[in-house]
Amino acid sequence: MSLIEIKNLYKSFGQEQVLKGINLAIDKGEIVSIIGSSGSGKSTLLRCINQLERQDSGSILYQGTDHSQTKNQIQLLRQKIPMVFQAFHLFENKNVLNNLILAPMKVLKLDKEYAVQKAMETLKKVNMDAFAHKYPKQLSGGQKQRIAIARALMMDPDAILFDEPTSALDPEMIGEVLTVIKDLAKTNITMIIVTHEMNFAKEISDRIIFMHQGVVYEENTPIAFFNHPKKERTREFLNLVK
Amino acid sequence: MRQHLLKIILFIIMFGIIVTLIPNNDAFANDQEDQQLDIVFYSSYNYQTLSQDKLNNINLDFYLPVYYENNKITYHIDSSYLALNDTIETISLRTNDGYENMDVYHVEIVKSPSIWKQKADFEITLNVTVDNLDIEQQYLGQVISSIPDDFLGGTIYTIIKYSQMFLDGSLKTLGLALTGTIAGFFLALILASMRLLNTTNQDNKYSALLKKGLNKIAGLYITVFRGTPMIVQASFFWYGFGLFGNPFYCGLFVVSINTAAYIAEIIRGGIQSIDKGQTEAAYALGMNHIQTMIYVIIPQAIKNAFPAIGNEFIVNIKDTAVLSVIGIFELFNQGRKITGMHYRQLEVYFIVAIIYLFLTYSVSTILKKVEIRMDLLPLEITSSN
Repeated sequence: MSLIEIKNLYKSFGQEQVLKGINLAIDKGEIVSIIGSSGSGKSTLLRCINQLERQDSGSILYQGTDHSQTKNQIQLLRQKIPMVFQAFHLFENKNVLNNLILAPMKVLKLDKEYAVQKAMETLKKVNMDAFAHKYPKQLSGGQKQRIAIARALMMDPDAILFDEPTSALDPEMIGEVLTVIKDLAKTNITMIIVTHEMNFAKEISDRIIFMHQGVVYEENTPIAFFNHPKKERTREFLNLVK
Repeated sequence: MRQHLLKIILFIIMFGIIVTLIPNNDAFANDQEDQQLDIVFYSSYNYQTLSQDKLNNINLDFYLPVYYENNKITYHIDSSYLALNDTIETISLRTNDGYENMDVYHVEIVKSPSIWKQKADFEITLNVTVDNLDIEQQYLGQVISSIPDDFLGGTIYTIIKYSQMFLDGSLKTLGLALTGTIAGFFLALILASMRLLNTTNQDNKYSALLKKGLNKIAGLYITVFRGTPMIVQASFFWYGFGLFGNPFYCGLFVVSINTAAYIAEIIRGGIQSIDKGQTEAAYALGMNHIQTMIYVIIPQAIKNAFPAIGNEFIVNIKDTAVLSVIGIFELFNQGRKITGMHYRQLEVYFIVAIIYLFLTYSVSTILKKVEIRMDLLPLEITSSN
């Protein structure tokens, strides 16, 4: 049984159909990178998994059952599969520590003392423990993104969704964020990463999914995908990004 | 900055005068008792205008009865018996034969009450000979000065004499504005949340209907209370229903519900100005709508809306003046009452204006400080995005 299974997912914004029947299964511990040109529906797919966007039809199965119907199902889905955003979206009114402990305290009902202890351990993992009492305003983009990843980790997730985690960063800061994600990859956590960093995707992923015009156009292991793309459009894309 | 400092010092001095020079009401209470003597006299100059040039020489006529227990009284006046109070240096009595059944004595007081000290107490001991019987009588009296003719004198006189009323009025005004703004703020939070309810496709028929209903109710509330004058609302609730049986509480209610309508729109704007990503980030961690609003969105919205909410407070300090219409003696209405005492509108409304200015200026100064404190978080160290 797959951890996440997406069945026949359709989504349109007004007249424009963004997802045209996505079928995808992601196993526990698998690291999947989704690539493709802008407007191909990568981010929308990710947002549908987290139910930030409601699909028009189709379902999101989590551990074999549909979790996209009632409010409670959706909240459970989100706490098990949190998301890391391109623009970080740290809570501006809270310092780093409180950013980390808010959701665990309110959603998982952890007591504060334990949550703080756990937050400090998690901050060490992303090498940000010295910044526990800083506010988001005082951090650089790379630091913010590392905090955002730590915030997702605090939920003890089964999987983490990354929506272009390095696209809003200056080049010199991309490295520190990718390092954190690579470290995470060793812990056997499931990750779905939408990215434009081809080398990173190649290095970290178990599987590459290429999306084109709202469908899964081609998928394969990284080596096979990058070295021997099967389809015409995939070859074009890879030539452009090289 | 120095200009501001001067202004503040001026205000503090003015306010200090009001607060420290509260007239001594005890003296007056004692006089009432002392006047219950067998022989009562009064001064013709009580409550009359004392102008500056008369201040050092006040003439008082005492009307003393000619008969005492059916005997004609012969007054024997000995100036050595005149015990004088601190501000009165000499008193002399003289007879006047112009009255049928009483003799008029004339008392002259040199150096009498000034505009700074409105009342002067004095004491006269008279030796009265009735049928060869000596009766010693003691009189206590009080001279009350009246309002000077000129603007400056009149203003100072009014401030000192009616400081208690001005203070009462100021406290009522501040109380109405502060309580009304705070109560209005909490009511506004509820209204704004109602106004922002959006139906999603996860709602069933009933919850969608409920959300729409609440939204419409909040919209109607805001339209009605923003669209009618507060003076009309106050009259409506007080003269129409006699709400709470007390004009002050009714007024408090009116300020609160009126302010709520304005602040609700301010908070709604504040909430809508928060980046949608903040909500999504909270949702993406499994938080529900209410948790997201309480812990993430509303704190940020209030911080953004704080200057506008503070402005509502300042507006309320001024606008509570309309509550005089339902008989609340806040600052303006106290002023109106005081003008009735001497018919000196210019001086009284000048003082009222100054007090209002003092209140609004100090409140806005304090609010500015709080704003800076709230914004004290250092700016971004790096400018990476």
